Amino acid sequence: MVFTLLKESILFAWGALLANKLRTFLSLLGITIGIFAIITVFTIVDSLERNIRGSVQSLGDNVVFVMKWPWTFGPNYPWWKYMNRPVPEYSELDEVERKVKSAEAVGFCISARKILKHNNNTIENGMVSGWSYGYGQVKNFEIVDGRYFREDEAEGGYNVVILGHTLADGLFPNNEYPIGKSIKVAGRNCKVIGLFKKEGESMLGNTMDNQAVVPYNFARLFMDVKSESSDPFIAAKAKPGVTNEQLKDELTGIMRSVRGLKPLADDNFALNETNLLSKNFDGLFDIVGIAGAIIGGFSILVGGFGIANIMFVSVRERTNLIGIQKSLGAKNYFILAQFLFEAVFLSLIGGIIGLLMIYLLTFAADGVIDMEITLTRSNIILGLTISVLIGIISGFIPAYGASQLDPVEAIRTN
Amino acid sequence: MAHITRPKSISVVTIIAIVLILLAFPMLFMPSVKRMGDFVPMILGIIITLQFVSLIGVWHMKQWGVQLFIVMFCTRVITFMFLDLYGFRFYFSIFYSVLFIIFFLIHYRKMDGNL
Repeated sequence: MVFTLLKESILFAWGALLANKLRTFLSLLGITIGIFAIITVFTIVDSLERNIRGSVQSLGDNVVFVMKWPWTFGPNYPWWKYMNRPVPEYSELDEVERKVKSAEAVGFCISARKILKHNNNTIENGMVSGWSYGYGQVKNFEIVDGRYFREDEAEGGYNVVILGHTLADGLFPNNEYPIGKSIKVAGRNCKVIGLFKKEGESMLGNTMDNQAVVPYNFARLFMDVKSESSDPFIAAKAKPGVTNEQLKDELTGIMRSVRGLKPLADDNFALNETNLLSKNFDGLFDIVGIAGAIIGGFSILVGGFGIANIMFVSVRERTNLIGIQKSLGAKNYFILAQFLFEAVFLSLIGGIIGLLMIYLLTFAADGVIDMEITLTRSNIILGLTISVLIGIISGFIPAYGASQLDPVEAIRTN
Repeated sequence: MAHITRPKSISVVTIIAIVLILLAFPMLFMPSVKRMGDFVPMILGIIITLQFVSLIGVWHMKQWGVQLFIVMFCTRVITFMFLDLYGFRFYFSIFYSVLFIIFFLIHYRKMDGNL
């Protein structure tokens, strides 16, 4: 009995929507735009968040970086305290490596933009990084072809290079095989010994795709290792079972002794870890998410008013019919369900169209930007939920009004 | 069908309650709520929508409106406690909801018992 009534209500509502196609289309357009706006913002924010978290993860969860500047942001950043600090040096790495007990691996890295050349193919401002051998064990990366440099190559400053996907494509177009070939890095000949796996675009700009990695002892021949522009840092990876806090405590002691700091003197180095970046980005994403929610919320509100308006018109138009239905024995809840279903249908169809548009947009974005944008399950559920709830909220008042009509007065209405 | 005149005070209180309920609606889009789980916005949305529906019932002087409002108030408090959503908004919503319930119960006998 209940199911029959339900089915009848749905069919009746569906028939009413089909009878006024243009009106149906115009009223669901509001919800379509609202859902499109709000879920697009959430989809983009989620994708950016995923990308940045991926980039942060690639730096390593259990890695502590010894740097000049701390990874904290905000209006109260005391930059004047940090600007006179010395940059980490390779000689300090030896000391740290010798003394540290809680680190599995320790490495040193510098980087600068240099010219890369192979025959007639030139890449200006290619990112060249000089790694100590140990940094290869600290950093997360994958080599798809060739190999990582050997310890003797790293120590001896051999002129070998591992190329990222984008740089390899630029220097060796037409599917030329790069391994074993010689390229020029900052004017010096260098043999390509490996290729990094393609990682795609990274919001932090730390993708391996546009990096050329050479041994540190080779890089120092053409990079200013004491300059801040080379962004030098020491990285230490914690042993299994050792927390970052324990590692930081140990590194603080070692670095203070290496730099000969007096007991009461402030640290002249920063110990950074990836969760500092994550925390900063959490706040940023929350702000973007809230801004998106406000913009989308207003669009949804407008869409909801549109549906409520259409439902009032619909009830007014069919008052006579409601009277006939009631006089033939239709219950109040049947009339209520009929109009409520109509509103929910309208809203749901609008929401589904909005979600389909976003789905198509993600395909289009795939071809334009080198970043994965996906419409997630949680966003689909959110979009459908909002559509149904807006349908109920905007349709309930006119539907309840219709259900409460007096059959005699309703039949008399023209 | 007997027509029950709605006291002005009920009109005012119901409008305030509807505005407060609708202001809670954007909470569904909050990143912090989304992070709690895929279905959390849906659950909160259903609670808010049913509270809205209950207030329409109160507006039409129906006893089911008050009953539904009380049920949804309890559901909301339990859900918020389960989701660990304590804070100013939580305590404030309890405060005004209890006031509304007391006020609606004062007028409960004047309301229509039919749907």
